[in-house]
Amino acid sequence: MNTRETVSLAAIALAFAGLYVGAFEGPPAARFVAPRAAAPAASSKPRYRPQLLPNSSTLSVHSATAIEIPDGRLRAFWYGGTREGAADVAIYTSLSSPRGETWEPERALVSREFAQRHLQRYVRKLGNPVVGRDPAGRIWLFFVSVSVGGWAGSAINAMVSTDEGETWTPPRRLISSPFLNISTLVKGPLLQLSDGTIALPVYHEMLGKFGELLRVDAEARVIGKTRLSWGKSSLQPVIVPRSETEAVAFMRYAGDPPARILVTRTRDAGAHWSEAVKTALPNPNSAVASVLLAGGPLLLAFNDAEEDRESLSLALSSDFGNSWRVARSLEGRSLLPGAPVPEYSYPWIMQDRAGDVHVLYTWGRSHIKHVVFNRAWLEGGG
Amino acid sequence: MTLASTIFGLLGCGLLCVAVAASVLRFQALPVGIRYVLVTAVVVAVLSPIGDLSIAGTVRGVTGDLSVSTLALAASAVFARLTGRTMFERRERNALLGLVAGAALFLYPFALGWTPFDPYALGYGSIAFTTVLLLVSLTAWRAGLNLVVLVIAAAAVAYLGGAYESRNLWDYLIDPLAAVYALAVLLPAAVGKLASQRRQRAPVV
Repeated sequence: MNTRETVSLAAIALAFAGLYVGAFEGPPAARFVAPRAAAPAASSKPRYRPQLLPNSSTLSVHSATAIEIPDGRLRAFWYGGTREGAADVAIYTSLSSPRGETWEPERALVSREFAQRHLQRYVRKLGNPVVGRDPAGRIWLFFVSVSVGGWAGSAINAMVSTDEGETWTPPRRLISSPFLNISTLVKGPLLQLSDGTIALPVYHEMLGKFGELLRVDAEARVIGKTRLSWGKSSLQPVIVPRSETEAVAFMRYAGDPPARILVTRTRDAGAHWSEAVKTALPNPNSAVASVLLAGGPLLLAFNDAEEDRESLSLALSSDFGNSWRVARSLEGRSLLPGAPVPEYSYPWIMQDRAGDVHVLYTWGRSHIKHVVFNRAWLEGGG
Repeated sequence: MTLASTIFGLLGCGLLCVAVAASVLRFQALPVGIRYVLVTAVVVAVLSPIGDLSIAGTVRGVTGDLSVSTLALAASAVFARLTGRTMFERRERNALLGLVAGAALFLYPFALGWTPFDPYALGYGSIAFTTVLLLVSLTAWRAGLNLVVLVIAAAAVAYLGGAYESRNLWDYLIDPLAAVYALAVLLPAAVGKLASQRRQRAPVV
C-alpha cells in the first residue's frame, strides 16, 4: 500500500467511525407530550363572540395562527400585503387583551427584506406562518418563504422567542428537502415531543402533494422526517395527539372527486402512519383545523362544501375522528352579513386554559376573524 | 454554527459562480496572469454585498448550500481554467459522476412522493445508509478512485462538523446541480458508446 492509499483508507476509517457513532447515538424515538387539560367550563351559559382583527396595513390577509401566553392573552400572526404572493407581503402580529376580548393594532414582524438579510439568501415572497410552544416553553414562529417560482418553491424558516413573543431571534432556514431545499410548507400546529424536540407537520407541493412530519431540535435543525402520506393529493396536515403514542392527522384533499377531508393515524408516536383515507366530511381543496377538547371530543373546523370556501363549519367527534356531527356553522350563505369576497378559510383552532375555544380564520381576504365560544355554545347548536 | 454555515454556504455558492464565469468566459484562452486577475475580480464581485445581499447570497437563495460533489466539480473546473491542467483523471471524474447519477436516480423520484418510501429520511443517521456508503467508499478505494473517496470522506467530515444548515447526509453528498451535470455528461457519452458498438456489430454488406 502506498502513502496515498494509506491516507485514503485512514480518511475512510475516521469519517465512518464518526458517522457510525453519530448513527448509534442519534436521537432516540420520542413520544408525544399529551395535550394539557383545559379548565372545566366555568359556566353553562352559552357564549359566542365574533370580531375582526385590526387591519389598517394591507389589502389582503391570509393564514392566521395564534398562541395563548401565560396571562391569558392571545398573540396572533398572519401574512398580509397587496395580494397573496406580492413582494410587499409581511408577517403581521397582534396581541389581544386577556381572553381575546379586544386586539391591539397590528404591526409587521417579518418583511421580505428582513428575512432576506438574516437568511443571507434571496427571498421573493413570504407565506404561511405557524406559531407554537416547545417543551421548554419557548415560542416558535415558523413561516414560509419562496426564492423562485410559486408556492411549490417554498422553504420553511423559524424564529424563537423566550419572552412570550416580545422579541425574537433572527430567522433560521430549515432544511427539509433534497430538491435545493424547496417545496416544503407549513400550516398545522407543532407538537411537543418527550425528549424536548418538536414535531412539525409540513407538506410537499412540487409534482407530488403529500404530508410529512419533521422532527426539529432546539437549534431549529431538522433531525428526522416521517412521511404521513404519498402521491399527489394530500397536503396541509393537522395532527392531534390524544396520548403519548396515538394521534390522528387530517389533511386537505387535492385529488379527484369526491372531495373529502383525508385522515391518517399513528399508534407509535408518529413513526408510522396508516394509509390516508377519505372521511365523510367534504373538502374544497382547503385547509382544516382540529383540536382535542378537554374531556375528549375532537373539534374540527372545515369548509363545509366540495366546491368553494363560502361556508365554514365546526364538527364534533366523540370517537376520535371516526364519525362526525356538524355542531355549528360559523360562516355560510345564509349567515349575513358576509364578507365582500365570500371566502372563509384557513382556520386555526385552539382551546385556552380557561376552556374557551378560539377560531381564527381568513374572512374575505380583507381581515382575520376571531371567534371565541364556550362548550355550551358549541354543543347547543343542534 | 449558524454563522459558520452561512459563511460556508456563501463561499460554496461563490465558488460555483467563479466556475461558471471561468467556463463561460473561457478563461483558459487568456494569458495566465489575466486569468488570476479575473478570478480574483469575480470572487470579490460575487461575495461583496450589494445592498443586503451578495451575488453569492442570491444564488444561495435558489440553490441552497451546495453538496461536496458540486464543490469538487466546481473547484476542478476553476483549476482547469486557471492552470490548463486537470485536477482529477477522467476515469476518477466519471466514476464520481456515475455515482452521483445513480444516487440521484434512487433519491429524487422517491423523494417526490411516488411511493410511501422516502430515501431522503435515510440521511438522518441511518445505519443501513452509512453501511452502504462505507461499502461504496471501500470499493472506490480498492479501485483507486481517489476522487470518490475524497468526496465521500469530505462530505462525512463536513456532516459531522455541522458545516451546513442541513443535518441530512444526502445534502452533503449530492444536490440537483451535480445530478443534472452528471446526467448531462454521462448520458450522451453512453448513447454514443452504444451507437458505436452497434455500428461495429452491424454486418458488412
